[in-house]
Amino acid sequence: MIRKSSLALALALLGSTAAQAQTETAASNTASRAFQVTGNVPVICAGGALSGGDSTFALGVLVNTTTGLLRTDLSAPDKVLTGAFCSALSTISVAATRMTAQNVTTAAPAGFSNSVDFTATASGWTTTPASVNTAASTNPAATQSRTTPFSGNITVGLSNFATTGGTTLRPVADTSYLGSVTVTLTAAN
Amino acid sequence: MKTMSLIVATALLVGAAPAALAQDSDSAKVSVTGQVAKLCVLGTPSNAVIDLGQMVDTSGARVGKRAAIGNKSVTLPGSFCNFANSVVTVNATALTADDATPAQSGFARAVNFTATASNWASTNAVATTTVDRQGAGAATTGSGSVQSLPKLADIGLTLSGYDVPGDLLLVSGGYTGSVTVTLAPEAVPAP
Repeated sequence: MIRKSSLALALALLGSTAAQAQTETAASNTASRAFQVTGNVPVICAGGALSGGDSTFALGVLVNTTTGLLRTDLSAPDKVLTGAFCSALSTISVAATRMTAQNVTTAAPAGFSNSVDFTATASGWTTTPASVNTAASTNPAATQSRTTPFSGNITVGLSNFATTGGTTLRPVADTSYLGSVTVTLTAAN
Repeated sequence: MKTMSLIVATALLVGAAPAALAQDSDSAKVSVTGQVAKLCVLGTPSNAVIDLGQMVDTSGARVGKRAAIGNKSVTLPGSFCNFANSVVTVNATALTADDATPAQSGFARAVNFTATASNWASTNAVATTTVDRQGAGAATTGSGSVQSLPKLADIGLTLSGYDVPGDLLLVSGGYTGSVTVTLAPEAVPAP
């Protein structure tokens, strides 16, 4: 019985020695160490630069000088935002305010209107362009989303000019009708 | 009886022999031997992670593109090889976006850099990554010159020369790469 115990002890010691030897041989003639390298890029959206020299859609004379009604051929060259980008998924929103007479501040008499509605469209960013109509009470198409980062040009155009209140109304005379269009890029996290 | 006497005589003779060889002093030489294994050990680094931080300009002409990122250094103090003819090698993998989605046109999801392991031999180990804008490309390895003596030194690891393929916009998110420093015997060409 004693002899058996001694044998077991001897084996245990042997095992311990072997394990120790293994640990010691972990250091070798080759040493290697790995470093993780990390960095990050924040979400950024940039509207780019507006082409066309200025930031004004100049429509010129708004009315047919014979009838006094709003011209049906109103147009202005598109504006292009070049180099716009978002480094993550994003939404594009377009907002607009109708053109209103700046000098005539009194309410328009019967048969007249002091403002002109239009549709503003921002295309090139999403499959369905973002568009807003200043005459509409709601504009569900004014905000469009894209699911990938994007870099490209955004073309902003105006169309569907209409006298506020109805096409039979005549815009009051004023040297300045002023409205606005705002395009917003927003990163969606 | 005669036979018996012979046996006794032989026994006496044997018993007398040691007394004849005895002397005043004696010595013996015993060899003591040992061995030292070839070891290379890299010291515990000052940082386990090399963080480049935020990597793009957030305004100005280069908004969204790689910013001026400073060199980043890590020290492996007390590194040694106890034998001659060792070499330090550096292996670098470019930073790529953690989001594996392929980058859209105009964007990159990779940042190349140069990793340099210094202070071991006359020529540093240098590795410059060269992945494309989608992060495709193999890791790059570079070795320094042979250190002809056993050496104990603080090995420096420096990251520099950050470059985005095509200088494109970088997609947002976290980026990860790696650098491995190795101390090893000079590779001997196969005969």
